[in-house]
Amino acid sequence: MAKVLIPTPLRQYAGKQDTVELKGATVGEVLSGLTSQFGDLKKHLYNDEGKLRSYVNVYLNDEDIRYLDKEASAVKESDTISIVPSIAGGTEAGGAAWN
Amino acid sequence: MIDIEPIPWEEMVAHAEATYPNECCGAMLGSIDGDRKTVRAALRLDNAAAGSQQAYYELRPEDLLRADRQARDRKMDLIGIYHSHPDCDAYFSQTDLKNSCPWYSFVVLSIHKGRFDHANSWLPNAEQTAAEKEELKWQKS
Repeated sequence: MAKVLIPTPLRQYAGKQDTVELKGATVGEVLSGLTSQFGDLKKHLYNDEGKLRSYVNVYLNDEDIRYLDKEASAVKESDTISIVPSIAGGTEAGGAAWN
Repeated sequence: MIDIEPIPWEEMVAHAEATYPNECCGAMLGSIDGDRKTVRAALRLDNAAAGSQQAYYELRPEDLLRADRQARDRKMDLIGIYHSHPDCDAYFSQTDLKNSCPWYSFVVLSIHKGRFDHANSWLPNAEQTAAEKEELKWQKS
């Protein structure tokens, strides 16, 4: 079974587990299995239209699935799936800048 | 509440001051006990923003993945992200909000003329429309 690494803040919605092992032939199938098993995780990963939230990246081992076959990327039993956020920011646009 | 131990706090401030006038960014590792988060290590990460980094930062997801693996190896958790605001208040800007993730605490360090001035911690919501201020404590050695 493939391993899914759960980010710390989401473990409370995954039975307090840091890793969940799931069956599935594709990344989409594994993630579907994950959110079926732990329903509360779904709203943290997917928006109301059922798409991965804008800040959620999924990695298959060391590869971003957007550069593979996205959620159709094939999964082997030895594979590890990681959920990694996109994060950026800055002070521009209306900041209280000092001189 | 987020409590930052002396070693990571000094590392974060040193990173922010050394990076001035650009923005720095990094990861905070530690533990969570109920509503209390304790930061026990700070990891400097690259600011991958293209163009000027004086008013923008961007973390590579691959770097966050490595930070998460390092946290697991060290029996800690990835609990937050820090970045600096050079010559600017430690508020959570619209740019911060629109590029945030609700899973983590976001500590912003205000650096004034190259020296640390003040800091705040923020908890953005899932819709990226608002951020709540989180009680922040840090310890000096």
